[in-house]
Amino acid sequence: MDKPNVGIYGLTGCAGDQLSILNCEDELLDIAGSLNIKFFPMAMTCNDEDSALDIVFIEGSVVQPEDEQMLKKLRDRATFLVAIGTCAVWGGVQAMKNEIAREELKQKVYGPAGKDFETIAPQPLNHFVKVDLAISGCPIEKEQLLQTVAALLHGDLPTLPNYPVCTECKMAEYTCVLIEKGQLCLGPITVAGCKARCPSYTRPCIGCRGPVEEANVSSEFRVLREKGFTKIDIQNRLHTFAAQADALNIESLKEAVDE
Amino acid sequence: MSKSVVIDRVCRIEGHGGITVNIHDGKVAEVKMDVFEGTRFLEPLVVGRTYNEVAPILMRICAICSATHTVASLMAVEDALGVNVSEQTRLLRELLVQGGNIESHALHLFCLVIPDFMNYPSAVDLASDYPHEVKMGLELKKLGNTIQETIGGRAIHPVNAIVGGFGRLPIREELLGLKKQLQKGLKQSLATFDIVSSLQIPDFCISPNIYAALLSDGNGYSLFGEKTTLSTGDIKEIGTYKDICNEQVVAHSNAKHSRFKDKPFMVGALARIALNGKKLSGQAKKALEKLGFDLLSGNPLHNNAAQAIELVYSIERSIEIIEELLSGEIKEEKPMQITLRAGTGTGAVEAPRGTLYHSYSFDKEGRLTEADIITPTAQNLANIEKDLRVSVENLIDESKESLVPKLEMVVRAYDPCISCAVHLVEVNFK
Repeated sequence: MDKPNVGIYGLTGCAGDQLSILNCEDELLDIAGSLNIKFFPMAMTCNDEDSALDIVFIEGSVVQPEDEQMLKKLRDRATFLVAIGTCAVWGGVQAMKNEIAREELKQKVYGPAGKDFETIAPQPLNHFVKVDLAISGCPIEKEQLLQTVAALLHGDLPTLPNYPVCTECKMAEYTCVLIEKGQLCLGPITVAGCKARCPSYTRPCIGCRGPVEEANVSSEFRVLREKGFTKIDIQNRLHTFAAQADALNIESLKEAVDE
Repeated sequence: MSKSVVIDRVCRIEGHGGITVNIHDGKVAEVKMDVFEGTRFLEPLVVGRTYNEVAPILMRICAICSATHTVASLMAVEDALGVNVSEQTRLLRELLVQGGNIESHALHLFCLVIPDFMNYPSAVDLASDYPHEVKMGLELKKLGNTIQETIGGRAIHPVNAIVGGFGRLPIREELLGLKKQLQKGLKQSLATFDIVSSLQIPDFCISPNIYAALLSDGNGYSLFGEKTTLSTGDIKEIGTYKDICNEQVVAHSNAKHSRFKDKPFMVGALARIALNGKKLSGQAKKALEKLGFDLLSGNPLHNNAAQAIELVYSIERSIEIIEELLSGEIKEEKPMQITLRAGTGTGAVEAPRGTLYHSYSFDKEGRLTEADIITPTAQNLANIEKDLRVSVENLIDESKESLVPKLEMVVRAYDPCISCAVHLVEVNFK
């Protein structure tokens, strides 16, 4: 592919995935040189609001009607849509308790003024449009982003890990924070790509990258129960970044609520 | 004659915001900064979480300020639980915050401000004519990120700073490596100051400003403090931050605005230098003295020069911290043991854009019962509107084409971070 037309946009989130692009300081000018960046309001003026795009990178989740409209417009404009970051892929931290009515939250934070604006329970992009490639992470890892750009430029797809953080952690021979230190670590069920960053700092994985394919969450739940964690603490941790993922909504958790 | 100027989206700021101006009969009828950012409700959502889960969730309010959100959050938790961290932890946290300040100021100056003043749509376009300068800016930005990676474990959303201390302490070689990069960065920051202080600053937006910042009450200029000081002469304990921020729902926009004694005020680098600048030392002090204009004339566009001075300060201070850490051995301390208790606490840190407050209450099991966060952009919003109004009044005869970029320049000078505006919402959706 020669110089594709590219858009980069953030729906509602922390802008950390767009910032991760800008954080490729050593590669930034090369990236900009190999792409026709047409639309990137966070970093440039004179944005092209309508033309067709070959690739669009979108971060953030959909929390208001405007996000949904913008997402659909960008989907219509783009041949290939890449969801970047855990918010776009799974909903992110703002989607951790979607069972609480937004009206109730608005009343709490804004009082009567809250009734004047619309907000919806935060959703990932694929609840509204077809997503061609998902790069999770809170934020995304620079290397995965660069790999993706390089692969797409060659008309190819990147190879993203389909194994858990636990595998990366074992390969690096870090002390196991779950079994040896007894901490509430989600490494066994979280998708790799971060080189087990948190365990490398003696910290448990908190699942910021979302669940790995075929995660055995029931087994993780059992181990954590054996380690003495309460059902509510396990549920809270599981439901921090990707609360809506089917894999993380196991039967044992439903019982946890009744306990 | 009436005219209306609507800027749907101010680009090159973080998050989504616009400006609406209505002029009737040659007089300014309405000026407002619109905020289109969706609401995430992170404060009520974090209720029920245990004390050690709060920072990892609430740092995600904002990527670019995530280091300061993390440290302010940890300080609020520790204040509530009665934890006193070691001097070493305090120094490492400060280094993390200085790293965030370097990264954020370099990003703002090189990617957002300098292209603006030199009429380029982006830093990449600027690089085609000024490759050396843009490369220098990116290196400074990277320096800030390297500090955050080394101390916090990640450039965005640090994983290593936790309640009571750090997961893993940096080793001597890492700190020595940082020091070497900082020494190179110091020269680059001085060159940056020369560029920024030579930019022609327009004078269409001058009016009296009230400034607020944490009071540097130690020996030197600081991004930390137990009290907030205002240019009105008022000084308040950070625990009483509500007296200063005094958020109110404003009828015309329904956005929550901060006012002190019914007047808007400004936070950020310019406010800090206005209030604590006499405590600067070293090259940063010299830079301030070298400025060819009055930083405190009430022109918000001078915030850019103030950021350039702080870039020098943050690098010099980072070197100082590293030297202090390396003067003895780095103590292999574990994070402090926490004894649970019910309590309320506040943490405040000067974020790149101004004073950031986190305040929490916990029950006796260490679960959060209430969280309140006041971000710099929320505090600045009323002042931005004041300055937009002043600008429009001074430029009332100009065409829309000429007015729009100038108003955007005012907004950008504040380096607003709309992602950060946790409970700041504009409801005037079209």
